[in-house]
Amino acid sequence: MNKRQVVLESISALLIMLFLYASISKFLDFQRFIGEMNNQPLPNSWTPFLVWTVPSLEIAISLALIFERTRMVGLIASLVLMTLFTIYTAVILLHFFDYVPCSCGGVIRKLSWPQHLVFNLFFVVLSVIGIILQRRSFFKSILITKNSFV
Amino acid sequence: MKKIKFMIMTLAIAFSIGGAFATAPRPAQECQAATQYYLNGGAYVLAGRLGIDYICNTPSSAVCTYYKVGTTYMPCMWGNYCTSNCKTGNPTPKKARN
Repeated sequence: MNKRQVVLESISALLIMLFLYASISKFLDFQRFIGEMNNQPLPNSWTPFLVWTVPSLEIAISLALIFERTRMVGLIASLVLMTLFTIYTAVILLHFFDYVPCSCGGVIRKLSWPQHLVFNLFFVVLSVIGIILQRRSFFKSILITKNSFV
Repeated sequence: MKKIKFMIMTLAIAFSIGGAFATAPRPAQECQAATQYYLNGGAYVLAGRLGIDYICNTPSSAVCTYYKVGTTYMPCMWGNYCTSNCKTGNPTPKKARN
């Protein structure tokens, strides 16, 4: 196992821990999660959709990150999701909405919004590094598959 | 190599599942699981459902809602208590209800 693989495995493990922990925490206290989602400055009509979509997506990304074959998809999905969370956090901090809601989700709820922003940015950077590292082996495997057909 | 990979993934999954269960709120200890009240003119009245009937507008050092421990009301959530219409930017306190 070379250095690049160790870093890639560690990044994937960190992202899996983040998404799996966050999703299970939401499902374990689902009623509170619904309340906290309603507390966000988003239309309450979105809540039934979001309370199922967000944790389900997080579990799907975790599963994709576990397997070598789907890791690239998992890394891209985690980059997209974490970027969306980061934009949302930045928008909250810029007082774009009329009020600042609570920052919620397991132990993560204990973070303030500025801490949330740093936390999210860290995982955005991790996802980018992961994609760069994975890209090499991803294209390598495509080349091998193509060559095997020739 | 595969052994190390397997170990890292197993540890990550075990830590996240274990961590989620370990930090899951216990109903008896978690104030937010209890009925929430807010202070209205010196009297504690039912706050309703978070996000539907009211929100706690942060940041604020004010106590948003209280929960009852025996006969005492203890602070639970922080922020300014306001009803759902505070999302429209023109908050008006809801009528007290018991």
